[in-house]
Amino acid sequence: MSGSKVFLQQVLALLAKDLKTEWRTREIFTSMFVFSVLVIVVFNFAIGADTELIRQVASGVIWIALSFASVLGLQRTGQMESEEDSLQGVLLALHDSSALFIAKMLAQVVYLLIVGLCILPLCGIWFHIDFIACIGYIGIVFVLGILGLSIVGTLFAMITLHTRAREVMLPMLFLPVSVPLTIASVYATAQLIAGMTLRDIVDYISLIGVFDIVFFTLALLVFDHIVEE
Amino acid sequence: MRTLSMLLISMISFPLVFIRNNSIYQAIVMYVVMLFATLLVFIYAPNEQMQGIVQKIFYFHVSSSVTAFSAFFLVFVASIMYLWKNAEWWDAVALSAAEIGVVFCTLVLITGPIWARPIWGTWWSWDPTLTLTLVLWLIYVAYLMLRLDAHDPKRSRFAAVLGIVGYVDIPLILWSVEKWRTLHPKPVLIQEGGTTGLPFTMLFTFAVCLVAFMLLFFYLLRERISIIQSQHTIEVLRHQVDNLPTG
Amino acid sequence: MVHLKGVIKHFGTITALRGIDLELKRGCCLGIFGPNGAGKTTLLKILATLARPSAGTVRIAGYDAVQEAEKVRPLLGVLSHRTFLYGHLTAYENLQFYGRMFGLKKLTERITEVLQIVDLVAHANQLVRTYSRGMQQRLAIARAILHYPKLLLLDEPYNGLDKHAVKRLHDLIVYLHAEACTIIMSTHDLHRGLDICNEIAIQCRGKIVYRSLSSVTDVQEFEQLYGAYVG
Repeated sequence: MSGSKVFLQQVLALLAKDLKTEWRTREIFTSMFVFSVLVIVVFNFAIGADTELIRQVASGVIWIALSFASVLGLQRTGQMESEEDSLQGVLLALHDSSALFIAKMLAQVVYLLIVGLCILPLCGIWFHIDFIACIGYIGIVFVLGILGLSIVGTLFAMITLHTRAREVMLPMLFLPVSVPLTIASVYATAQLIAGMTLRDIVDYISLIGVFDIVFFTLALLVFDHIVEE
Repeated sequence: MRTLSMLLISMISFPLVFIRNNSIYQAIVMYVVMLFATLLVFIYAPNEQMQGIVQKIFYFHVSSSVTAFSAFFLVFVASIMYLWKNAEWWDAVALSAAEIGVVFCTLVLITGPIWARPIWGTWWSWDPTLTLTLVLWLIYVAYLMLRLDAHDPKRSRFAAVLGIVGYVDIPLILWSVEKWRTLHPKPVLIQEGGTTGLPFTMLFTFAVCLVAFMLLFFYLLRERISIIQSQHTIEVLRHQVDNLPTG
Repeated sequence: MVHLKGVIKHFGTITALRGIDLELKRGCCLGIFGPNGAGKTTLLKILATLARPSAGTVRIAGYDAVQEAEKVRPLLGVLSHRTFLYGHLTAYENLQFYGRMFGLKKLTERITEVLQIVDLVAHANQLVRTYSRGMQQRLAIARAILHYPKLLLLDEPYNGLDKHAVKRLHDLIVYLHAEACTIIMSTHDLHRGLDICNEIAIQCRGKIVYRSLSSVTDVQEFEQLYGAYVG
């Protein structure tokens, strides 16, 4: 059907535009990565030298770092469209505004995945955790969790685009709503680090999956109301 | 389970907003019922064996909780209706319900620790329902901030989206917090006595208390909505006056 | 081509448009003149389907602009106060992006063609953020006409353009006019507007207070007329 072909083409065009811009400036990725590292290092100092304790909280620290980094990335993503009001230009060319949502969300997923991949080895070294053993399962949790963060985050990024205290409003909305996702991701990762298998964390994975599906559907339904006048 | 039944009660009772009564009549009824409820709580209901008089907070605590959930459910419905019908009235309902909901939510968060301290020795326990209330409080305070802050004329719509998202999130938050709680051993606590294990006297008192709180909620809601509408009318009139052609 | 009836637009308690009726045939070039705050930008935004009227109907090329916006949009070329461009991409990449969004065939040729029209071929591979205001405006014009729009909406197109650029814009509009493209332009620059347009409207405080279906030759006379209406 030509409709879906056009849709796909638009999503790809938008995604390419975002990624190309990011590749030129590398602003988003750099700030996200540096901030994540900072968070992890500061936590490390705060917790102290107890290796066992650090191992236990490692998962939480990683996901906190990712959540906060996500907030940074989202703010910049939204800002990109408000600089020359290019959002309006894009709207004029869009058939279905969900193409914009999906493209922005995918861009966010890409940034977070790259950041996640970069901080994992660092955490492995600093926290004395062997991620390689369970890398496949951790990968699944990462992908699903990051997907959830991106879905909810992109939704709120577009909402808070025009608010005055944008920097404050975005985390204020984003973090509480994504609590279930954070909890499930943290504990799934923690279990995996402690040596459990996929079967043990099926509960968490299904929660993350449900979260992703519910909010993706919701976002598609309401996105029209957010961007259209 | 307790939380679920509270959620259900709150969802069923919301249609009361459509009762169009004379405002003064409603205020009197509410006042009387509230008085009655207070009397019941302190005089009629027996002291619980192990917790003593402090347990009486339970009536207000749980009633506030149910009312808060009711309010948030109303925000959810009003938000959907607003996006669908684009009528100002629904937006006013959503805002009013959110404001009052946050107030009752705050009451829950205050009465919770007051109850917990003498009983458990700690100010706070990460009880699933209490934690859910805390997260909801954060979400709906953010809702109110969004409404105040966004200078975009679309802010009502943004808020409506948040109103929907917030409520849809509840089962997910509940699930995750309950799962999370099983990982944390709790201090030995005295059985709180869920609503089904209560003797009739307590159940009756609780029911009356709940009705009183719901009446209060709907009264405040109606008043708040009419304030919003009056404000809107005043602004329109003021603007018309400002724009009268001169000369 | 364009039919507006009873269009009203509220922003909260401010009424920007108080009932606009406008008819425009295909191929015309309409100039809307008016002071700041007259609502010209709001009107153009509604025509561009970027805003919805609070009341009234808007029909463009037979489609309802509110209900069938997605059918109307491919026909529109919009030049607004902001350029809708991405600073960190080159001119070529910007046009390539919009071309892909519109699903244009033979995109490369079209981009070159359009860049030639606005005389930016030499700077095609420079980042847009290095452009001067005038160059950005020209690129914005290129973006607006990229997808062969049937209705071109220009909001204060002369902003930031120097004499050469104005001449080029003039030539472009004449060219598009010849291609049966309908043009609606809003400006408070009476001289330049009157030069190009063959239909006139004056908008003041949210209403169209004057409408003429013929072009104006005597600029001074029009200036007096304008002054009388606008006050």
